[in-house]
Amino acid sequence: MSDKSMKKYMKKSEIATFGIGLFGVALLTGWMPDYTATFFADFAFKGKGFDPDVMANALSVVFLVAGIVGAVCELVIGYLVDNTRTKLGKVKPWIGFGVIPLALISMLVFVAPNTNNQTVAIAWMFIIYSLYTAFCCAVESPANCFGSLCSPNPSERSSAISIASFLRSVGQSGGMVVILVVGLVMKAIMGQQQFKNAEAQGLDLIISTAVCALGLILFVMIFFTNNKERVPFTQEKVSLKDAVKVVFTHKNLLMVSLTKLCGFGRGVYGTVSLYIAIYLLGSKDLKLGLLLPMGIGTAVGTLLVNIVLKKFSTKKTFILFCFYGASSLAILFLVSKGIGFNNGLIIPFLILNFFCGLQHGNTNVTPNIMIADCVDEIEYKTGKRQEGLAYAGYGLFSKIASAFTKALGPWLLYTWSGYLASTNANVAYAEQTDATLNKILMIYTIIPAIFVVLQAVPIFFYDMVGDKKEMITKELIKRREEKGLADNVSAEN
Amino acid sequence: MKKGFNLKIYAAVTFFVIAGLLATITVTTYTSRYNGFSPEKTAVAFVQSIVETGDGYNAYKNTIVSKNYKYGDFIREYYMYPVIYAECDYEIGDDRDGLKGYNDDSFKGEKTLNDDGTLSGQVIDTMYDYYAKLMKKYKGWDNYDGVFTDYFKELCKVREEVFGDKYMTDEIMFTALESNVRTYGESLTGTEDEFDANTGIQTSVKTVGAYQKAFGEDYKFTYEVTDTVILSTSNAPWGKINDNADMLETYKTSIDDMSELFYVVVEVKANGKTIATQTVNVVKIKSTWYVENTTIDTSALYEIA
Repeated sequence: MSDKSMKKYMKKSEIATFGIGLFGVALLTGWMPDYTATFFADFAFKGKGFDPDVMANALSVVFLVAGIVGAVCELVIGYLVDNTRTKLGKVKPWIGFGVIPLALISMLVFVAPNTNNQTVAIAWMFIIYSLYTAFCCAVESPANCFGSLCSPNPSERSSAISIASFLRSVGQSGGMVVILVVGLVMKAIMGQQQFKNAEAQGLDLIISTAVCALGLILFVMIFFTNNKERVPFTQEKVSLKDAVKVVFTHKNLLMVSLTKLCGFGRGVYGTVSLYIAIYLLGSKDLKLGLLLPMGIGTAVGTLLVNIVLKKFSTKKTFILFCFYGASSLAILFLVSKGIGFNNGLIIPFLILNFFCGLQHGNTNVTPNIMIADCVDEIEYKTGKRQEGLAYAGYGLFSKIASAFTKALGPWLLYTWSGYLASTNANVAYAEQTDATLNKILMIYTIIPAIFVVLQAVPIFFYDMVGDKKEMITKELIKRREEKGLADNVSAEN
Repeated sequence: MKKGFNLKIYAAVTFFVIAGLLATITVTTYTSRYNGFSPEKTAVAFVQSIVETGDGYNAYKNTIVSKNYKYGDFIREYYMYPVIYAECDYEIGDDRDGLKGYNDDSFKGEKTLNDDGTLSGQVIDTMYDYYAKLMKKYKGWDNYDGVFTDYFKELCKVREEVFGDKYMTDEIMFTALESNVRTYGESLTGTEDEFDANTGIQTSVKTVGAYQKAFGEDYKFTYEVTDTVILSTSNAPWGKINDNADMLETYKTSIDDMSELFYVVVEVKANGKTIATQTVNVVKIKSTWYVENTTIDTSALYEIA
């Protein structure tokens, strides 16, 4: 590549604060869905005497509707981002100003109205969580696509995205630490029983949400003041029809998005992790033990991908990690079968779980870098730069894939595996046949492995790599220079 | 950057304004949901726990027993460990390290080692009748000392008969007692048909409770505070509390810790009609209100059905 395309644009602090910004966003958005469900189900209307069956059904619909709202918002926000042109840039205003309503709405999700009317309670859950979903999209989607704007240098951009993705994945679990610390502080101040009484009202969740929301503001403001969009936006207005068309017709972008759909069954292992802990490892308390090595593996994998990307293209890296992931899951299956379902399996299972987690670093990072490259390609072909919609399209496919995963997982476990639920009030989990246990193990290993391989298939048709990528990068720099837009892009050196 | 819009000032102002708003929302919500900051709410929560679910056991979480103890730890220390370490010259508060109680694995017999939950269930079912008898004998939970002592003694006997060993842990004791407390509550409130969410198999059958028989299937309890009186130290209740100084000592507290005493009258209504009136003394220790349980009489609340 030429010197210009290799030029470093970002200050080191900018790379760090980009990650800090994504950490802040993930701290709140990673916290909200699970704890909102808990709050709505267990605490919001405690003691009001509402029909539990009606509430349980309403909750499912609340989250289904929120999912649809989220999918629509992905596209709408993407379109609006692409039509935003300000002195601050096209993405930064959404993040920097959007966090204010996001923080406040998130807090209000945990302030249930004091009503004895079940219809009012359900209506409130619909409205407040849909509002949260919409504001979440308005901040999270632009934050995710900032990576494609942080530097015109693809190599520098990839490094920044890798580091930021790592911090984002750490941030997603940050809420678990927050609620732990909040609990310890409350116990110290109130005493153990009064803390229990407060916990029974969901008050620890309310305080933790406030801490996460404040963390969002703090970390995003650090990002907002220090980071700069360094890829100039194009001036052409894009119609909604043309914009949406890009998501479904641009080959490379579609291939990256299709990885999500083709690999939707990767996540079914989550459905059986509790049963793996109970039946294969001997205690349901080991569920956290299962998830922890995998989580650490994911974090390490995120950093590992950055190293591999320096040697291989995004395409090769993605395919390499997919085959590695499938192999590690297959080994886990074979080792488990070899040792048998007993206590001797615990240590090898947990160690192998770490190695299985490494592959998730790839799915966290590489597609984001590929989408940034696709945005360059779209700009090269059409003259229009559409980060907002490119990332929104990927987000849309992710949400559809997630819905498929949520449907497939329970079907595999409760129908296909022949799982027997306990009918004895004194026995929590019934004995399972060997055939069922074997299928539960397959749902955790072999079935996700198949989907890990399938998600690599679209990437074989992805070609924004090598000479083509280099040529497009140079051409875009040249065009910007000709239009005098490069003057707006300040370099670090 | 456009002159007049300073990113750093915007960031700082946003942070402090949002921090202020979040703090305001949190404090307001906390105050409105947490019972311990209001004498009336504390009294109602105590009465509600007993009436709504027949659960005088958990109602103690609102009382001075729970000021310095986690309620479960109080029960362990005073009523469970003396049973588990009965052969070890254990005194309340002693260090248990090195003591070999009935919770030691060496006390596990064959049936304990191989139980899949069926025998444990049998123990719990057998103990339920005894728990119901205790509720009649003591007219509820005011004499918790009698209830705990009798119940755990009987539990050891029943478990030994079923399992053929002396193995006993605090977990076994809590599981049996809390299961019986729940079943007792369900005998009042009734239960609905229940189905496993995943398989659709029916796991329990609908029952009609004593409350439903007395007040109709769709009965609704409401609670109203009809009177709240601040009692000065010259009033009789202060003296009565002082008479129970020994009991307060077991809670690691004393009358000197209490800064205020309120007399609260809670009216319990079923479908809008008054069915019981309960007086509750609540005391303030630091900033939190607790039900004063050493002098209370809640027996009427156990007879409303």
